[in-house]
Amino acid sequence: MPGDPNLPNPHRRNFLRGSAGVAIAPFAVRAARAEIPALDASEDARALTAVGMTVNGQRRRLSVDARTSLLDALRDQAGLTGAKKGCDQGQCGACTVHVDRRRILSCLMFAVASDGADITTIEGLAGEDGALHPMQASFIDQDAFQCGFCTPGQILSAVACVKEGHAETEADIREYMSGNLCRCAAYPNIVAAIRQAKPLMEG
Amino acid sequence: MSGHETALRELPLIGRGHARYDGRAKVTGRAQFAADVVVADPIHAFLLLSTIPRGRIDRIKTDRALVLPGVIDILTHENAPALAAPVSQAAGSATNHQPLIDPDIVFDGQVIGVVLAENFETAREAAALVDIHYVKQPAAVTLDSPGAVTERWSEINQNFEDLEVGDAEKALAEAPVTIDATYHMQSQVHNAMEPFPTTVLWDGDDLIVHEPSQYVVGLQRGVARQLGIDPSRVRIISPYIGGGFGSKLSLTPRTAILAALARKHRRPVKLVATRSQGFTLSTYRGESRHRIRLGATPDGKLTAFAHEAWEMCSRFGAYASASTDLTADMYAAPSILTRVNIVRTDRTTPGFMRGPGEMPYMFALETAMDELAYRLEMDPVELRRLNEPARSPIDGSRFTSRSLVKCFDEAAERFGWRNRNPVPGANRDGDWLVGYGCAAATFPCFNYGGSATVTLLRSGRARVETAASEIGTGAYTALGQVAAELLDLPIENVEVLLGDSLLPPTAPAGGSMQTASTVPAIRLACERIVSRLGNRMPALADLGAAFDRLGTLSIQETAQYAAFDGKNANGGRAVLSTPDGDEPIAIASYGAQFVEVRINARTKELRVPRLVGAFAAGRILNERMALAQYRGGMVWGLSSALFEGLAIDPIQSRVTNTNFEEYAIPVNADVQMVEAILVPEEDHEVNPLGVKGIGEIGIVGVAAAVSNAIFHATGKRLRDLPITLDKLF
Ligand code: FES
Ligand code: FES
Repeated sequence: MPGDPNLPNPHRRNFLRGSAGVAIAPFAVRAARAEIPALDASEDARALTAVGMTVNGQRRRLSVDARTSLLDALRDQAGLTGAKKGCDQGQCGACTVHVDRRRILSCLMFAVASDGADITTIEGLAGEDGALHPMQASFIDQDAFQCGFCTPGQILSAVACVKEGHAETEADIREYMSGNLCRCAAYPNIVAAIRQAKPLMEG
Repeated sequence: MSGHETALRELPLIGRGHARYDGRAKVTGRAQFAADVVVADPIHAFLLLSTIPRGRIDRIKTDRALVLPGVIDILTHENAPALAAPVSQAAGSATNHQPLIDPDIVFDGQVIGVVLAENFETAREAAALVDIHYVKQPAAVTLDSPGAVTERWSEINQNFEDLEVGDAEKALAEAPVTIDATYHMQSQVHNAMEPFPTTVLWDGDDLIVHEPSQYVVGLQRGVARQLGIDPSRVRIISPYIGGGFGSKLSLTPRTAILAALARKHRRPVKLVATRSQGFTLSTYRGESRHRIRLGATPDGKLTAFAHEAWEMCSRFGAYASASTDLTADMYAAPSILTRVNIVRTDRTTPGFMRGPGEMPYMFALETAMDELAYRLEMDPVELRRLNEPARSPIDGSRFTSRSLVKCFDEAAERFGWRNRNPVPGANRDGDWLVGYGCAAATFPCFNYGGSATVTLLRSGRARVETAASEIGTGAYTALGQVAAELLDLPIENVEVLLGDSLLPPTAPAGGSMQTASTVPAIRLACERIVSRLGNRMPALADLGAAFDRLGTLSIQETAQYAAFDGKNANGGRAVLSTPDGDEPIAIASYGAQFVEVRINARTKELRVPRLVGAFAAGRILNERMALAQYRGGMVWGLSSALFEGLAIDPIQSRVTNTNFEEYAIPVNADVQMVEAILVPEEDHEVNPLGVKGIGEIGIVGVAAAVSNAIFHATGKRLRDLPITLDKLF
C-alpha cells in the first residue's frame, strides 16, 4: 500500500529518498546482526571480505571490497550481467534485482551487506527448462521494450509490483513502476505487459 | 534496374507486426551489451573531467593517487600518448575536441585525465585523489552570455545557403495580419539508458573494440585514423545498443585513448563512464532561439514566411542543425526569408539528437501557426489545409508523396478535435482547465545507400548480414522480416547478424535512414538469389530439389544499393534521372500531433492524458516496430515540451543537473495514453521499397502541440521550453 514504510516507494518524486532507504535499511539490519564484522577506522576498507549468498538458487561465495556495490559484484564477479548500470546512484532502476524477495536497487546496496541474502536476478527468472516467466513472455507479447537496456530491471520491478499488490489498476502500475526509467519510453507497453502477466502469475 | 526483371513479391504497405527477433535475448538478460562483455584480466579506467568551463590546468598532481595500491597509471596532458586529431565522421558531427594535448580547458566536463587501476573502486578512488589546480577564465555558456559570438552559418558551411524567395520583408510590411514571435529552448542531452562503456583489447596488431555504436563503420575508420593504423586492423563489435538517439553516432575521444593505453599496458582496458560524465562525453542538442514572422491575408493565406535561428555551438567546432529548409517547405508562402546563425560559446560541440533541428525548428513554426490561427479566429487545422503547397515553396520541387493533410484529418477524427470549444480558457472540468492543441510533424528523407549479404541454404534457412545497428528500432526484426518475405520463408528461418564492422557496410542508424538505406540492398541480394533459382522462389518443400539442380548447398549474394546513383545524401531533396533530364524532388515524411492537457486551476499541476499522432512515412516494414518508434518519439516530444533542459549556474558557468534526479525525463506515471496512427502511403520514387524513416518524426511537433494546448486551456502563450510549472503562473 502507498506509504507503507517497509515497502519500496518507487514514485519518482520521493524516489531517491525512498530507494536509498530501502537499500540502506537491510545493510543496517545485517550489520547489527554482526554477521559481518563492523568496519572501524583502523580497518582497511579496501581489504576483501568474504560474503556468501544464494543467487538464483545457487550458493555463491564472493570476495568483495567493502566499496563494491551488489551490482558490480553480480556483474563482475558472479558473471551475471543482466542487471544493468544505468546511473550507479539509485536514479534509474536498471540495476533492480530481488533481495529476499523484495525489489532493490543493487547499485545502492553494498555487496558486503548482502551476506546471507537470497538474490534473484533476471537470469534466474525463467524456469530451469527455459520456460519464460509470465512477465518475460508478456514483455515480448506487448512489445514492452525497444533497446532492452532497462528491461531486466523493469521485469524484476514488475514481478515485485504484482506481488506487492500494486498492480490493481493502471494508475497504480504507473505509479509503482516509476522508479524504472525507460528512455525508449515503452511505458504504455510496460503497463500492458504487467496487466497481461498479473492473472498468469496469480493463476 | 534489375528489380523489374525478377518476380519478387511486393511487400504489403504496412508489414505484419512480428514480435522482436531479439525479444527473448532482451527479456532473459542474455543480450550482451558492450559493458557486459567479459575479457580476461582487464584494467579498469575512470575518466577525469574538468570542473571549470574555461581556463587552463595550472598544476595536476597525481602522486597521492599513484601510491594507492592497485593504481596502474594515470594519464594527463603531461604524459598522454600522441594521437592523430579526430575528424568528422562521414555521418557528420564528431565530438571534434581532442583532449589531453594541452592544459587548456575549453568546456566544462572536458576529459583531462584517465586513471587506470586493477578494479573499478580503486580507479574511482584514485580519480578523487588527483589534485588539480586551474587558472579560471570567464566563460560564455548560454546564447545570451557576454562573450558569446554570433556567426552566420552560411559563411562557415559552404554547402549551406539561407533562403530568399520573393521579397518577404516587403510582403510582411504589407500583410494585413502578421505574427512576429520568438521561441527558445534550453539544451538537451540524449541520456540513453546505457551510458558510454568501452572495452578495448589488442590481439597482436589487431584492435577489438566493444563499444555501443550507431555507426560501427564510422567508428572503425575514426579510431584507426587516430591510432594511425589501417581500418582493417580495427574491429568494432556492437550487437546491442542500450539506446543511442544520436549520442552513439559520433566518434568520442575516449576510444582511441583507451586503445593506446591498452597497447601500452598490454592488457584489455574497460571503461564504464558514469551517468554524469555522459552529459559531456558525446554531443547534445544545443540551446536555440527562433524568430518566426508570418504574413497572411485576413482569410488565412500566407503571404510571407521568415525564420531566423540562433543555435549554440562550441568555439572550436562547426555544427548546426540548420533546419530552415524544412520549415520553409511546410506551407505555401510565396515569399521566404531565412537565416541560420551559430552562437559560439564555451561549451562542447552539439550534434545529432533525435530530430536534431526538426524538433526545435518545428516547435517554433508550429506554435507560430497556432498563434496565427487564433489571431485569424480560424481552426488551426483549417489554416494548415488552406496553406498546403502543391509543390515545394522553396524551389518548386515535386513532393514524391506528402500526406500531411491526411494525417491531420485522421488524427483529428480519432482525437475528437471537431467538438472542442475553441475559446481559450473556456474548458473546465472541476478544478482542471482543459486544453487541446495540434501541430504538424515532418522529417526529411536521407538516402545514404548500403550493402548487405544474404545467404540462402538448401535447408530453407537464410541469413542476413549487414553492419547496421540495433538501437531499439527493431533493426534485427525489420531487416530479417524483409528477407523472409521476399524469399517466402517463415521468419523463424532467418538469422540476422548486425553490429560488427566486419559485416558489409551500411548507413548509420541515424537520420532515420538506416532501414531505408539497407533494405534496398537486401532486396537486391534476394533478387539475385531468386534469379539464380530460375526467377521464381520455389516453395519451401521444393527448395532442396532446386538447389540440387544447381549442384549447391547454399547461395550467397552481396548487394550494394546506391541511393539516387549516389548523387544524394542530403535530407529532403534528391535528383531523379528521367528521360527528359534531371528532376529535383522533395522527399519527406509527414505527420500530425494532437495533445490534450489538463492544468489544475489552483496548483497549476499539469497532466497530459492524451497524445494522438498520425504519421505517413511510406511503406512500413513491421507495424509493431513502427508504432513503438512513433510512440517512443511522441514521449520524447512530451519530454522536450515539459521536462528536459540543462540548468546552467550563471555564477560558475557550469551545468548543474548532470543526473537523472535533476535532469528530468518522463517516468511511467507521466505517460498516459499515447496513440499512433499509421497512415498508409505509397511512394515509388524515394527508394525501391518506398520506405521513409520512422525513428525521429514522432518527436517533431509534440512540443508545439503541448504549448498550443496550454494556450487553449489557459490563454497563456508559452514560447520557452521546457514549460516547467513556474511558467504556468
Ligand atoms: S544503476 Fe542503480 S538505479 Fe541506476
Ligand atoms: S527499452 Fe530502451 S531504455 Fe527501456
